[in-house]
Amino acid sequence: MSQSLKFKDLVLSSRLSCLGLIIVVVSVIMAVAFSILGARVTPYNPFVLNLQESNLPPSLAHFFGTDFQGRDVFSRVIAALPIDLGLPIAIVLLSSILGIFLGMAAGYLGGVVDEVIMRITDLFLAFPTLIMVLAVAATLGSGIINAMLAFVFVWWPPYVRLVRGGVLEVVAEDFISISKALNSSFGYIILKGILPNVLPSVLTYATLDIGTALLEVSILGFLGIGIPPNTPELGVMVGSISYGLYTYPWQALFPAFVTMILVVGFSFLGEGAREASDVKVRPYILFKTRVFGKRQEKPIPATTAT
Amino acid sequence: MRDLFTGNFGIDPLTGQSILSEILFYLPNTLELVLFSFIILVIVGVAIGYVAGMHFSTIRDSIARVAYLVSWSTPMYLAAIVAILVFAHWIPIFPSGGMYSLSIPPPQPITGISLIDALIEFDMPFFLSGIQHLILPALALAFVNFGLISRAVRSSILNVRWSTYVKTARAKGLSEPEVRRRHILRNALIDATSLSAVIFGWVLTSTVVVEELFSWPGLGQFAYQSIYGNDYPALVPVVVVFTLGVIIANFVADVAYSLLDPRIVLGSQNVTVT
Repeated sequence: MSQSLKFKDLVLSSRLSCLGLIIVVVSVIMAVAFSILGARVTPYNPFVLNLQESNLPPSLAHFFGTDFQGRDVFSRVIAALPIDLGLPIAIVLLSSILGIFLGMAAGYLGGVVDEVIMRITDLFLAFPTLIMVLAVAATLGSGIINAMLAFVFVWWPPYVRLVRGGVLEVVAEDFISISKALNSSFGYIILKGILPNVLPSVLTYATLDIGTALLEVSILGFLGIGIPPNTPELGVMVGSISYGLYTYPWQALFPAFVTMILVVGFSFLGEGAREASDVKVRPYILFKTRVFGKRQEKPIPATTAT
Repeated sequence: MRDLFTGNFGIDPLTGQSILSEILFYLPNTLELVLFSFIILVIVGVAIGYVAGMHFSTIRDSIARVAYLVSWSTPMYLAAIVAILVFAHWIPIFPSGGMYSLSIPPPQPITGISLIDALIEFDMPFFLSGIQHLILPALALAFVNFGLISRAVRSSILNVRWSTYVKTARAKGLSEPEVRRRHILRNALIDATSLSAVIFGWVLTSTVVVEELFSWPGLGQFAYQSIYGNDYPALVPVVVVFTLGVIIANFVADVAYSLLDPRIVLGSQNVTVT
């Protein structure tokens, strides 16, 4: 569809989202490479202890220095990527699937179903996310899968709201009622009529949300709850240093900065996508990309009717 | 269930004290930190969002956008660690943790929030020491959380900047600062208000990390310790208190919303927002 092509162009038209895309793609490639090839892609083995080289400062041999057990911090950061990218992506994917399912049911079926689903969603939304994740993760016990379940448990409500809102908007459109009048099947209306119209907003939100999930995953690791100690995970690496912060700051700073850069990547990408899909600003971006070079003074205002 | 409403949370198995008294001891400290950093982040956030929105698609907009995106992508612990390393270790101008110097006796509790108590009693040495201890954690909290508010202010400014009623205001002959202040900024503030409740919740929960790192004796640290120690009898009330905080913030935001926006009447069903 030409619509999606245009959307892609809009994402690429912003320098911010291009930068975000580069960061995301590079880190995903590194993560995939490590999970396939293992320690062969890292300069040192991230799991083998080497106590003779413990607590070395950053140098050419060890870009990010070494940690208290002599493991190369740079290698460990690469080793952390599969978990630090995989876990948030899995969380967001599962939550959005759950959200699409429940939100569609609530928005399309309406009535009692809507009421029940939305009240439960509101209940979950009232809880502060981080505290709930920490509590659930601590209850489930240590483990990557448990941490993921704890996250999904509190992560889905915004998606339900988002999808339900989108569905309600689409259902009011003429083409849905025409489709119904033409006796289209329930599945056809859902899959061909509603889903394609709801999906873009979910995708935009999810891109930003992966960054947020990554932050919270690393906070979980940092606090040492849910994610087992000694896992190569950025937050765990930062958290394991609490006593040597003044003496060996690089052991905490480098993983923390890498976390930030990863999240920045997802935020830039998501922000660019959001901006591009924003009806109010979109004419301006189109205008800017068409009239190449010279910047024109005032943008064409979008129609302000909501 | 009745105990939940009467505040009878029982005895904390770890410390042997009543959980309610522990929460009442920690809560004012957290409120002090959260409210202070909340004020900072609202001011900074609105200012940055306003600059970005009014200079849309210029270099200032780009800088402001990068600033708020980076702020929002910074992990809480990174902000706190950098703050401690830079301003408490390398340039030791602020203390790295605690609420006040132990050498200064605390003021008599009146409101419970020790800084306000010190101010009421004109206990200047304590007040200054309290502020000095407060600045780093509050700034770290504010830095991480101001991004969302800037983004909301920016996008709502973009929504109204070219709208017809701003044109009308200009056509009426209002001066440019007047238009900006009364029509553009006010609208942006309305959006920011409804969002600030969410952000208040975030700041409240971020205290789990910040208070741990700055050894701030607050509710976040208490929550962390009860989670870490599998102290569920204490954890449940703490979660309840945090949730209550978020709900109260939402309520306050709703009321402020109706005060700021003349189109919204509380309790009325047919709200027309154009």
